[in-house]
Amino acid sequence: MIKRVTGEQLLAIGIILIGLVMAWQIGDIPEEAGYAGIGPRFFPSLVVAGLIVAGGALLMQRRHRNGPDTILSDGEDDTEQLEAEEAAARGEANWNMFIIASGSLLAHMALIGIVGFTLAGTFLCFGICRALETRRPALDLVLSFLLALGLFHLFKTLGLNLPALLPGGVL
Amino acid sequence: MESLNALFSLGFATALTPANLLWALLGCTLGTAIGVLPGVGPAVTVALLLPVTQSVDPTGALIMLAGVYYGAMFGGSTTSILLNTPGEAGSIVSALEGNKMAKMGRAGPALSTAAIGSFVAGSIATVLLTLLAPVIAGFALQLGPVETFSLMMLTFAAVSAVLGNSPLKGFIALLLGLAMGLIGIEGQSGQSRFTFGLLPLIDGIDIVVVAMGLFAVGETLYTATYENKIAGRIESLKGSFWMSKDDWKRSWKPWLRGTAIGFPFGTLPAGGTEMPTFLSYSAERKLADEKTRKQFGKGAIEGVAGPEAANNAAVTGTLVPLLTLGIPTSATAAIMLSAFQQYNIVPGPLLFDTNPELVWGLIASLYIGNVMLLVLNLPLVGLWVQFLKVPRPLLYGGIIVLATMGAYALRQSWFDLMLLYIIGVLGFLMRRFDFPVVPLVVGLIVGPMAEKHFRRAMSINEGDLTVFLTHPISLLILLVTAAILVLPPLMKRRQVLLDSAR
Repeated sequence: MIKRVTGEQLLAIGIILIGLVMAWQIGDIPEEAGYAGIGPRFFPSLVVAGLIVAGGALLMQRRHRNGPDTILSDGEDDTEQLEAEEAAARGEANWNMFIIASGSLLAHMALIGIVGFTLAGTFLCFGICRALETRRPALDLVLSFLLALGLFHLFKTLGLNLPALLPGGVL
Repeated sequence: MESLNALFSLGFATALTPANLLWALLGCTLGTAIGVLPGVGPAVTVALLLPVTQSVDPTGALIMLAGVYYGAMFGGSTTSILLNTPGEAGSIVSALEGNKMAKMGRAGPALSTAAIGSFVAGSIATVLLTLLAPVIAGFALQLGPVETFSLMMLTFAAVSAVLGNSPLKGFIALLLGLAMGLIGIEGQSGQSRFTFGLLPLIDGIDIVVVAMGLFAVGETLYTATYENKIAGRIESLKGSFWMSKDDWKRSWKPWLRGTAIGFPFGTLPAGGTEMPTFLSYSAERKLADEKTRKQFGKGAIEGVAGPEAANNAAVTGTLVPLLTLGIPTSATAAIMLSAFQQYNIVPGPLLFDTNPELVWGLIASLYIGNVMLLVLNLPLVGLWVQFLKVPRPLLYGGIIVLATMGAYALRQSWFDLMLLYIIGVLGFLMRRFDFPVVPLVVGLIVGPMAEKHFRRAMSINEGDLTVFLTHPISLLILLVTAAILVLPPLMKRRQVLLDSAR
């Protein structure tokens, strides 16, 4: 029987991968023995080993409602049942909203250098409002703009340099 | 009594200057505001203020940041009581009884006992800090790099094994923080590590980006994905605002007990403010007489008074290891430590000699700040209630705009926005799979310090790893560390065996 891979196990694999990528990068750190044999590679090696071991432990860990120390008889495993209960308590995930929020953040990143802080910020704030299922989008759009404009001018007077759209720096 | 002398001659002289009073007021006001707003915590606010404070003198800036930290504890209770959503982690318990009281029209007394209890606890804890800090600092002066490194190991073990449900997840969070801390130029040898050939990574990942990513972006992504359907309802402030004679009688003992539980917890490296509030709540419940115990779960004032006192005492308690040992025990304290580093000030035992006016000014400002917060939170509570009426979508939108601005302003580079998003997704995943965040933040900030002390210890002792066990203080600390790691699972197993034998 092929068992369904749980999200937590995927995460564990991700952690092990991070560890492996870092292990590969350690080779790029110039080896200098440093004082007393402890060079710049020593600590990274410890952290990498820790990540791989801990990731492996998370991958192998069978969850049980009585905690990880419960002694399970062979084949007994209620991980899936436990996951289902937790998912019910958490509520349905709405991935559309995750995508809207992510898209707003990434678009803001791409736009801020081009259209300036105020417009990019307006778009971002409005996008987050949409992701949180606002019930009055038009008002939120106006308020987002006012918020971004206000922050822009507040921080300009405080001496923080933010990119502007217009050369004069009104927007 | 030397410390009292220093407090009055140096501390209050520094804290009472108009500029520093203003910083304290600003910090307390901001702290209360973000405490009231659900979704914004003191950690993210302190991180957001880091770039802004760069041009302010260190004393004023730290006074403000400390004000934010404990102001958030005052403000958090308002949200817990009126909205049943904790404004920050330390006031989860207050929502249990406080919101029930508000539903019965007793919101006023609940808010009052929270504010006055916070004031009492904060003041007592500050007195303890005044008396204890110089003593501990004097002791800490004898600690060399060997002992400091062991102490940091203890901190790592405590924050990851004690907080959260699963020690394994705590350790993974810690390791991720340590890994992030490795990125950039390594101080001792000048070698760059894990930069993947990317120029912007040479300076390392800024704590501002990490805090914003985990606390603001991660939280927003989680709320958007999972919590859109949850609607809060604000309880109105009706009925008598003031506490009755009976309320006072029932509150003062929980205040003192909460302080006694909260302060020591704050000083321990397993800090944070949640644990002591839960302990205080269960203590009050156990100690209550028959009649009162029945009220628990239905709005017992003791269940607000105790935990609220405990969380404020704990916040002040976290300043003890931060100022005397330079070791942060909570996410906010870790970010405050990087504020010190920003000014090239190293918190630790020497701080009392090198920057006495800063330390004592900071401690004196805590006394003043407590009074300010009492005024801000009692008569002005109606003002803060208005904050709760900000619609949630707009609130999160604003937080995100501020977070991106904080990250972007560091270097004017889209690269930091990219990092912010990536760390935000990490924060989302950690929240989704129930990983504690505090070990990550502590690991990120304390990790590089630990490496430095380790290598210093090695170079003094010619690479002899046994020094950690042959120095008596270090051995003792490591034994405690081992006990923290080994005992809880053993106790659990024993309990399981006892249960099955029954």
